Amino acid sequence: MNRPDDTGDRWLPRLAIWFLGRVLPRGPRGDTVVGDLLEERQARGATTAATLRFWRQALSVAVRYRWRPEGVNEPAPAGVRSTRMSLDNLLQDVRYAVRSYAKAPSFALTILVTLALGIGASTAIFSMVNGILLRPLPLPDPDTLVYANEINTNRRGQAISVSWPNYLDWRARAQSFTALALTREEPMTLTGVDRPQRLRARRVTGNFFAVVGIPSAIGRTLGDEDDRPNAAPTAVVSAGFWQTHLGGDASALGRALTLDATAYTVVGVMPPDFEYLRPYDVFVSMGPISGTPNMVERGNHSGFSAVGRLKSGVALDTADSELKTIASSLEREYPGTNSAINVLTSRLADRLVDSIRLMLLALFGAVGLLLLIACVNVANLLIARGAGRQHELAVRAALGGGRGRLATQLLVESTLVSICGGTLGIGVAAGLVRMLVAMAPEGTPRLADVGIDGAALLFAFGAAAVCGIVFGALPAFQASAVGGQQALVRGRSSGASARTHRLRRGLMAVETALALILLTGAGLMMRTLQQLTHVDTGIRADHLLTAQFMLAGEEWTPARRRTFYDDLVGRVRALPGVGNVALAGALPIDGSNWNSIFIVGDQPVPERAKLPSAAFTPVSDGYFATMGMRLMSGRLFVATEKVDASYVVIVNETFARKLWPGQNAVGKRLKQGWPETPDHPTQPGAFFAPWREVVGVVSDVKFNGIANETPMQAYLPLTQIPQRSLSLVVRSATDPVTLASAVEGIVRDLDRNLPLFDVRTMEAMLSASMARERMSMLIFAVFAVVALTLASVGLYGVVAHGVTERTHEIGVRMALGAGAHHVLGLVVRQGLSMALIGTAIGVAGAVALSRWIEALLFGVSATDPATFAIVVGTLLAVAAIACYIPAWRATRVDPTTALRAE
Amino acid sequence: MAPAYLGEFEQLLLLAVLRLGSEAYALDIARELDVRAGRSVSRGALYTSLDRLEDKGLLRWKLTAGTPARNGLPRRLYTVTAAGLTALRASRSTLRRMWRGLEELLEEPTS
Repeated sequence: MNRPDDTGDRWLPRLAIWFLGRVLPRGPRGDTVVGDLLEERQARGATTAATLRFWRQALSVAVRYRWRPEGVNEPAPAGVRSTRMSLDNLLQDVRYAVRSYAKAPSFALTILVTLALGIGASTAIFSMVNGILLRPLPLPDPDTLVYANEINTNRRGQAISVSWPNYLDWRARAQSFTALALTREEPMTLTGVDRPQRLRARRVTGNFFAVVGIPSAIGRTLGDEDDRPNAAPTAVVSAGFWQTHLGGDASALGRALTLDATAYTVVGVMPPDFEYLRPYDVFVSMGPISGTPNMVERGNHSGFSAVGRLKSGVALDTADSELKTIASSLEREYPGTNSAINVLTSRLADRLVDSIRLMLLALFGAVGLLLLIACVNVANLLIARGAGRQHELAVRAALGGGRGRLATQLLVESTLVSICGGTLGIGVAAGLVRMLVAMAPEGTPRLADVGIDGAALLFAFGAAAVCGIVFGALPAFQASAVGGQQALVRGRSSGASARTHRLRRGLMAVETALALILLTGAGLMMRTLQQLTHVDTGIRADHLLTAQFMLAGEEWTPARRRTFYDDLVGRVRALPGVGNVALAGALPIDGSNWNSIFIVGDQPVPERAKLPSAAFTPVSDGYFATMGMRLMSGRLFVATEKVDASYVVIVNETFARKLWPGQNAVGKRLKQGWPETPDHPTQPGAFFAPWREVVGVVSDVKFNGIANETPMQAYLPLTQIPQRSLSLVVRSATDPVTLASAVEGIVRDLDRNLPLFDVRTMEAMLSASMARERMSMLIFAVFAVVALTLASVGLYGVVAHGVTERTHEIGVRMALGAGAHHVLGLVVRQGLSMALIGTAIGVAGAVALSRWIEALLFGVSATDPATFAIVVGTLLAVAAIACYIPAWRATRVDPTTALRAE
Repeated sequence: MAPAYLGEFEQLLLLAVLRLGSEAYALDIARELDVRAGRSVSRGALYTSLDRLEDKGLLRWKLTAGTPARNGLPRRLYTVTAAGLTALRASRSTLRRMWRGLEELLEEPTS
């Protein structure tokens, strides 16, 4: 139809015209109608109201022309079936589909639930994986952001932090980066305000903001001049902090923030949407620390890592090998500190999610399996339904229904159910995402980015829909393949061809196998969690309250710190319901950052790179009793441990066993640091590490997470190492949570500028350390239950359908004298044979996949026979029940009815 | 051949076309129905009913050239056929027979 469009009509009428062109008859008959509609709109002034009216009229025309009895104006030539899929037919098909589903609600419900669970669960998990793993960092050009840290090649490439002098050399020599910054997380205490507060702070070199590529919103960011030793301390604050703490006022620039007793001048505010890895309150400059002995010592790795921006066109590998070359030359130049020190670079985004990558990938796999199971189930159900309708289809074909027309109708049916199932799936996905985000382990990065993912939804929807459509339309083609007449003559009982049956049984076996793999995964996860909760942590975690504080600033002299320790411990111990109270530099489970090398008095000193290293923890004298640790030999620390003389140390069993196997460790001597580190003060205030005598051996405790091997641990008397950052542990007779406010009150009373943070029970800490395992177990368990349900529903469907098909045969058998048990056995045997084949395949699959899940397990092998046995047993038991119900029904077949039905 | 049976709406349509003489095209017919019979009719119902009357041989139409207001699209001008007139007459006499004797009962109140 040629419709000149010179009136400058907007697209709305044009769309309507196009639409009308699709439904109206061609030629003047249609043209005149469109013309009338246009003229009427013009006559009404082409206003919005007129356009609305125009649309309403156009729709009424479209509807009327589509839905009126066909062939009135243009009857199809006799003998030619209209294969055009008209809106009219479509509507009829939809109505027919709804009616036929309503007649078999259990079928419709099963298929809807299957689709909803399959689509919902897979979309939810994919959304998590996508939000956390796949979506780029919210920083410009995230692919060129590179993370680097040092590694010790002697300790199997153990990652260590970057020493300041090494970083300065990297920065001076590397050509691959437009900028290379150094940064570390450094929580700080804000004082000089009404309520002292722990801030989320990050120390960064001046070029950090150039690396991440985000300028400040107000004021300036940091610069190289802020890195210089003793440069005035400066800070850049987040938009959130600026609003909540600085009144959102531009005059806040130039104000000082007292952080860990150092006054930092606020020089800038970041934009509100800026986030580096996780939310921070403040970024502080290197100036105050870059000149300290700790930093300038090349052998000292004090918690920093490097982040750089690649020059355009430079590949990650190039940068990696360049840094490695620099590290090698530093190793030659400074053999004393840099032997066996190398570099590891990775994309920042990869590094960020390293710790949870495995878990997410395992979940992804589980989701894939579930989606597959759902699809197989849908296929099975639709094939069963199709098989049952061969007769109906044959009749319709015989009455003149074309193959295309029949296929269309079946397509409509399966598409309808796919769409409904998918819509339910969206709801399921939304609920699951909310649940997973709530359950995610604390500190999971970028959790805020997780939302229902459109692409994922589309994918799951598409997978299920394709599956539904393919298998839904299959019967139509089979109907014509078999030949309508044949199906008609053979009647209802032999409707399903042997081919269909084999296909269904094959699918059933596959489904059982997939379910078994998921069940195995869930079983292994459950065993892991069980093992973790039964790990001997070496401490009595119940009735323990923990809290942390930090004595920052010059005014906290060692003497004043010791007094504070005594006051705090004494006053907390005086609280009602409190047993032992102690202080420690680090708590079990949470891990210690003070890993130090040492030498042993009675053994030859190994080469520098092979010096042993242990976790050193200063503790107060009541520590071991408070934690419930056992003394294995020697003695514990006492309250009167001398400050400056008779230096002592207590080691754990692992330490004693590794260093002095078969000997008594008590009485041995060790010294921290390098062999040449002075063992006495060379001048007042200078660093030294005295020789210490081992006075006791205590039981091992889990230090760095429950699942990790216990390292060599050494405990120092807190009086001799008066640390600033400490944990308080309180053993109580009652619920430790009830003590929290009283303890906080005591600390406030002792020093109103001292915030107590991370106040929680030891049990909460333990449980948090298992959060990841608990979450993966839970998800796997949900998946496994869903998979098992789907598989048993599928099995039930196949067996039940088989029984229906064989009603006649069963009737004959029973008429000829077969007993109920015989029929029962016959049906159950057939069903279980599918389940058994599937189980065998599933076990093989689970074994094949075992190495993928190995890294997520603890205390159980990925091919644990007990788990496999239980899983196989469960699956077969459920399968037996699923087969038994239809089998039992088969025994109720009345032979006379069955035979008469012919 | 017995005259075609006419539904009430079909009668109204045929009468409207007759009233409009030779100038009857869809929009005029719709207006006539609106003004005289108080029937606001959707375009969909209008065109399909006109088509149905045409299929029954009671209406025929010819094309006239379009105007710019209609994007140059043609108009259909309707005429009632002889069969249409016969059908109208038959309907009227049927109705008359049925009305006969009921005038008093159904008389409209005089104003």
